[in-house]
Amino acid sequence: MSVPESIRAELTQALTDGETDVAEAVALKALAAGVDPLLLISDVMIPALTDVGSHFQEGEIFLPELMMAGEAAERVTEHLEAAIAAQGRTTAPLGVVVLGTVQGDIHDIGKNIVATLLRAHGFRVIDLGRNVAPSAYLEAARENRAQIVALSSLMTTTRPLAESTLNLFSEVGMRKQYRLVVGGGCVTREWAQEVGFDGYAEDAAAAVALCKALVSALPA
Amino acid sequence: MQSNLLREIVKRAQTGPYMKENEFDLKVARRIKELVRDHGIKYDASVLVPADDDMADRAWEAAVQLFVEVGVYCQTTERCIRFTRDEVFEILSQVRPEITLGTGKDAVVMRHRCVEDPARAIMHSGPTGTPCSERYHPLILQSCAQEPLVDCLGAGSVSSYYGEKVIPGTPLEILGARRDAGVAREAVRMAGRPGMHINDVAVPLTCAGKMAACDPEAGLRPSDGILVSQMVELKTDFDQLSRVAHLYNIGGVTVDLMTPLIGGVGGAAAGTAVVSLADHILGAVLYDADYHMFSLTHIHYVNNTDSMGLWVNAMVGQALARNTRMVTLNDIYVVSGPGTKELLYECAAQAMVGTVSGFNMQGAGTTGGFKEDHTTGLEARFIAEVSRASLGLKRQEVSQLVSAILPAYEATFKQPNRGRSFPEVYDVETVRPTDEWLAIYSEVKADLGSRLGIQFKYDTRLAGA
Repeated sequence: MSVPESIRAELTQALTDGETDVAEAVALKALAAGVDPLLLISDVMIPALTDVGSHFQEGEIFLPELMMAGEAAERVTEHLEAAIAAQGRTTAPLGVVVLGTVQGDIHDIGKNIVATLLRAHGFRVIDLGRNVAPSAYLEAARENRAQIVALSSLMTTTRPLAESTLNLFSEVGMRKQYRLVVGGGCVTREWAQEVGFDGYAEDAAAAVALCKALVSALPA
Repeated sequence: MQSNLLREIVKRAQTGPYMKENEFDLKVARRIKELVRDHGIKYDASVLVPADDDMADRAWEAAVQLFVEVGVYCQTTERCIRFTRDEVFEILSQVRPEITLGTGKDAVVMRHRCVEDPARAIMHSGPTGTPCSERYHPLILQSCAQEPLVDCLGAGSVSSYYGEKVIPGTPLEILGARRDAGVAREAVRMAGRPGMHINDVAVPLTCAGKMAACDPEAGLRPSDGILVSQMVELKTDFDQLSRVAHLYNIGGVTVDLMTPLIGGVGGAAAGTAVVSLADHILGAVLYDADYHMFSLTHIHYVNNTDSMGLWVNAMVGQALARNTRMVTLNDIYVVSGPGTKELLYECAAQAMVGTVSGFNMQGAGTTGGFKEDHTTGLEARFIAEVSRASLGLKRQEVSQLVSAILPAYEATFKQPNRGRSFPEVYDVETVRPTDEWLAIYSEVKADLGSRLGIQFKYDTRLAGA
């Protein structure tokens, strides 16, 4: 059963407006009507949240709208994943990304925006927060079978910690198992290439595009 | 006389309501939307400097409500520190309306300024927000300190120590902080102004690093300042509060640094104004700040010279000027870099808005902080000149003037002209601006005079022009 147009419109509107309770009610109504939860994710949620992300990037909406859309999506996702599991099926995220702000850096607004947009695009995001030790990235990547480890660094003085994290992956022989990427106010593409990161993103939208490109290039 | 509330603040940070940080962010964002609506605070892109006293007062009332209702998030304990409305007003009534900065003949008194205040703004300069190399940092500081219209110096940030990267929390942070404080002290001495106030050393990110910068002989003195930062929005932690404790111990100047984002948790311009005002309350209540550094930046471009940034600045300045006695500083952030006309037009717009709205001045944070060594003393001279030329102007006049200046740079935000680095626009032997950089300066100044009628009052030829 495809997603009825009324459900698509209502859920899209609720997600876009960040109306968590409304979005939840529409999702439950759709499930009760027998709509495939996987279709709700692929045909409604991802396009709606992609639009929200684009509007944010263009400066047409701001962080509160992005945060509220993210919260609404999270609530809906809980129900959809439960329904998928109840059907004996599984959801396959686009990829698993371990994300955090490097050790010593307490700024995380940019990282939070990246997390919201990645989730909106179907990635499973393990958000380690801010001031993340190099070893914590490593452990989280192992435990969650991540494909990508994403580092955020805003302050110039915290950039060496991004490099230290990269080096730790090499030292323990796990560098080739993950794609390590970096972004943030103090980071440049040139520096990221020089120290050996697999990618650099100048903003949240670029981070999504980068992660998509990296997972699609991985061997099946 | 204000009192040390740290014991109470620490207690409330341990006993206040527990909340996950993202829940706090959402709560703040939602409440701001409601308050903006309920108080009828409206951004109008055609009036960048509103002259609406009632709206400024409503924005202030919204900020008080926000602060009292949501409190301040302590990231260390994941709890909210709350103060009642009566407590807030009791503390605000004790705010000192002026502070002496620096010592001896170089000391200046920075005061609470009013809307359309005829008294000049105190001018802070330095590469705050723009990283410097070890090589050029001393010269950049000297280029700022030697400017006659500059009153105070920010020591800025150098990310290496004899070639080694400075990592927070390591001995190199301690060494780097002391080195940078010494360089700043030497810069003001070389400028012939040894008692000039130095407003922080930016390289350390920890309280220990800030403490290491303090040395009455060769570093920061009690007449200098240390920044105590807020995390966006309405957040603090015990490391920041420990800086307040250290400043109490040494009798130093407490500088409340806030970095609200245009388009951040506050949303668009009206909400950003409300949360920025609440941030100022945080600085008064939790940090007992001697002055407040308002480092507003756009979430995408890292400047505050866009139309929303100018409006927020005007609204926040006027609301504070009318409803508090706080001593406030307008920290000008621009996307452009030295050697460009755009940088000077950006500085001019913010200097005019800030001056007429009740702020003292600081600047400029150039290139959004992205380009090393892309900062000089000349832009500080320009801010000071424009600020002085703005004295006596009415808000309505400034609103029209900045609307006429904005087109000179607004289209560059997505692809900014980052300009050139310090050694490309200054003679590094004489520490004087190059003829080319001075010619651009004169051209923009002449344009503002002839096209817009701005009357400059200071002859800068003796300063090397």
